[in-house]
Amino acid sequence: MQPFTVLTAVAAPLEIASVDTGMILPGRYMRRHRRPGHDYGDAFLYDLRFDATGGARADFVLNGPAYRGAEILVTWRDFGCGSSREGAAFAVMDFGLRALVGPSFGEIFEVNCIQNGILAATLPEAAIQDLWRQLRASPGAAITIDLPNQSLIAPDRTVHAFDISPLRKERLMRGIDDIDVTLEYRDAIESFEAKRRAAMPWLPTAQRE
Amino acid sequence: MSAPRTLFEKIWSDHVIVTSPQGEAMLYVDFNLINEGQSFLAFDQLRLEGRISRRPQQHLAVTDHYLPTVNRASGTAGMANPEIRRVVEMLDENARDFHLPHVGWFHRDQGIAHVIAPELGIAQPGMLITCNDSHTATNGACGALAVPVGGGNQLRHVVATQTVWLKKPKTLRMTIDGVLPAAVTAKDVILSIIRDIGIGGATGYAVEYSGSAISAMSMEGRLTVCNMSIEAGARIGMIAPDDVTYDFLAGRKFAPKGADWNKALAHWRTLPSDAGATFDRELSFDAARFAPMVSWGTSPEDSAPIDDAVPDPARIDDADRRRHVERALDYMQLRPQTPLAEIAIDRVFIGSCTNSRIEDLRAAAAVLKGRRVTVRGMVSPGSSAVKRQAEAEGLDRIFTAAGLEWRDSGCSMCNGSNGELIAPGERCASTTNRNYEGRQGRGALTHIMSPAMVAAAAVAGRLTDVRRL
Repeated sequence: MQPFTVLTAVAAPLEIASVDTGMILPGRYMRRHRRPGHDYGDAFLYDLRFDATGGARADFVLNGPAYRGAEILVTWRDFGCGSSREGAAFAVMDFGLRALVGPSFGEIFEVNCIQNGILAATLPEAAIQDLWRQLRASPGAAITIDLPNQSLIAPDRTVHAFDISPLRKERLMRGIDDIDVTLEYRDAIESFEAKRRAAMPWLPTAQRE
Repeated sequence: MSAPRTLFEKIWSDHVIVTSPQGEAMLYVDFNLINEGQSFLAFDQLRLEGRISRRPQQHLAVTDHYLPTVNRASGTAGMANPEIRRVVEMLDENARDFHLPHVGWFHRDQGIAHVIAPELGIAQPGMLITCNDSHTATNGACGALAVPVGGGNQLRHVVATQTVWLKKPKTLRMTIDGVLPAAVTAKDVILSIIRDIGIGGATGYAVEYSGSAISAMSMEGRLTVCNMSIEAGARIGMIAPDDVTYDFLAGRKFAPKGADWNKALAHWRTLPSDAGATFDRELSFDAARFAPMVSWGTSPEDSAPIDDAVPDPARIDDADRRRHVERALDYMQLRPQTPLAEIAIDRVFIGSCTNSRIEDLRAAAAVLKGRRVTVRGMVSPGSSAVKRQAEAEGLDRIFTAAGLEWRDSGCSMCNGSNGELIAPGERCASTTNRNYEGRQGRGALTHIMSPAMVAAAAVAGRLTDVRRL
């Protein structure tokens, strides 16, 4: 997984409240196999980005040419609320986003984002509205997120500090996910396993039949 | 001498490998069950990352949610819905690619995961078992610590590491003492408990069910009680192993054999909660006061004894509860104060991981023997082994003579993920575990109850007290 340290990238304002995980990844995409070249990127916010005939909605912010290649989304209240579907974080990642900035996020969604190397940074509502104003005034402007220093630098160079738990920060900065963390204990797991299997040889094991 | 400990604490501490500074424990997973569900997300991600299954022989992939219960002989080709077919095929492919043992379509052991794990002797006392299914606690009836995991990241983590990170839950002992009245079953016990404590009543707790009513229960009944722990909010439900457990396990496919059996038995006997062990919370119930239950609303706590009536929201003081009941009655198309035994039904379903074991089928067949049903309905045994046993006992002929369909095994109409759904506005008496809006299909009206009560409803064409049939 790509480590997250300092990111300077085009940011897009998404001025909609309560964008739930069902909007981020509509339910009909949940049975899709996620494979390289056929991931969830095109499904991200599909019903906001496209009309019923599949045509791009010209008035939707992410369809504007200035935001092509945006890696930061400046969201509004409760982005990622709703169902716990893990595919929503995949859709964010596959669309090419690396960071979300907003006043609040769905709790499970936020955990799923960290798991996939995406930073969800929380700033006060006034700061978010100020970022939107600047991004609207100069479409395609960049924001810098400095994770080691826990700061965000707006297009007008205003610096905003944000909080993140030390554990989440370490995981993002090292680019490690939950399995990587666990496998740092590989020796402990293996010795535990060997002792348990020796003491309880009857524990079931199955074969492919 | 060490401090007295609970069953849960013994098994939990037996499996802790490390504890993080944040207080989460990394626990060793003895065995993991995998269904189709969202598990393809886990395998897709493992593939993208180039990871493998660390201990493939400690997993069993079980196709249960998406299999049709009819027309099995034609295989996937006979499945009309390409999306459902694809989900079934994906588990075939994922089990093959990750070298996981798999009980699929045509396996002799085919069945619902939580029916076959105890039946095959996989669920044993003292084990930590995971599965990407909310009804995993079923296996806790065998004295195991059985924990549901998420179908994506958490399952992926179990497959790749054979461990799971969990926050230690608090402990809750539910003591059910006394003798159950005639026709009162394990399903009525757990529905009564959920009615009393609510669907969030045990949230955050690992529940141990104990007391003389539990000790007197068969393994099938205990599996039904533990199965619905999640409907009270508890992810973990368990029952201390005893002679009922050992007799049930002896001789099963994966149960210990020979000298191992005696070693295992010696270990298992150390597991029950010590006298004097303390729980974070204790609840007591009097078995003699339980009655045959039916649900009337859109949540498992919306249940009542069959001789009761639909509640009147106007008489409910709590505003939140009143709003819920109003909405539930609107959805269920029921009028306040209607006697429950006057609610006419359109169809019945007997099956699911809650009530599809041999004892459940015997109870339903005992009611249906020599009678005819007045509504449509189907019976789906919990496993192919249950199906064979039922046929050997002639139960299938009782069901078909009564006018019910005798189907193959699977999750089927419990949540309809295989496409077997109840039509909008149709009212179904069902042995399943959930009666939420749309659970059995959009607009489906579900009443959950025991197998004997469903059989009685099928005969009468309305919800009926099986004792008065």
